[in-house]
Amino acid sequence: MNAQKVDIFIMSNSKYFESHHLPQIRDRLLQLDDSKWTVIQFLQFKDPTVSLIVSLVGGTLGIDRFIIGDTGLGVGKLITCGGLGIWTIVDWFLIMGATREKNTAILLSAMY
Amino acid sequence: MKRSSQSRKIYAILLTACVAGYFRIGWLLSGNLPDPGTAGFCLIRRVTGVPCPSCGTTRSILLLMSGDIAGSLLLNPFGIIVAVIMIGTPVWIMADFLSRRRSFLHFYLHAERVVRTPGVAATLILLVLLNWVWNIGKGL
Repeated sequence: MNAQKVDIFIMSNSKYFESHHLPQIRDRLLQLDDSKWTVIQFLQFKDPTVSLIVSLVGGTLGIDRFIIGDTGLGVGKLITCGGLGIWTIVDWFLIMGATREKNTAILLSAMY
Repeated sequence: MKRSSQSRKIYAILLTACVAGYFRIGWLLSGNLPDPGTAGFCLIRRVTGVPCPSCGTTRSILLLMSGDIAGSLLLNPFGIIVAVIMIGTPVWIMADFLSRRRSFLHFYLHAERVVRTPGVAATLILLVLLNWVWNIGKGL
């Protein structure tokens, strides 16, 4: 794809990805065929800030993990009172990074 | 994400959770049982005073260990589920590690897919909500 399109994509979506993934994502997008542009453009990413808010409110019930698609870990948090409350607090710090990792996975799976 | 790093992450999280659970049970059994009526670790119960769906799980596991299966089920059925997971997960992961297979990861990912289907998800959510109402009714 041409560099202009890729840069527009990176600029408008950079908050959804880990900053250290961005150069790699840019390289991959540049190598990608133009026919994939429509698919990539309309992908829905999960907002890390929203998952943080959900984690602060419903982390004990594992809702933050359910929202980003980690169903198994969500069930784990739900049936253990949020990992005795400790996992809940740990996830307040990890959930934004986990959301960005999920977004990278969504983007990569759309590319292939 | 690569399969191997994904499996490592899931195995590490589950094993850590299991080990933490065993430490908690060991700590309680070594004579550190809290006074009845005090809220444990549960953030929801500490903040709001209302029990969460999984409140009573630890007490339920302790009852199960003393052989009182009916009492454990009546206190909180989650206790039985957590006990099965805590015993099964380390054994399965160890067996996988020794035989160099990834059967636990395949099972985990398959279970995630099944749980995500709308019918199953709705049923499970309903069961959790009913358990929550029951917990509040029991005043755990």
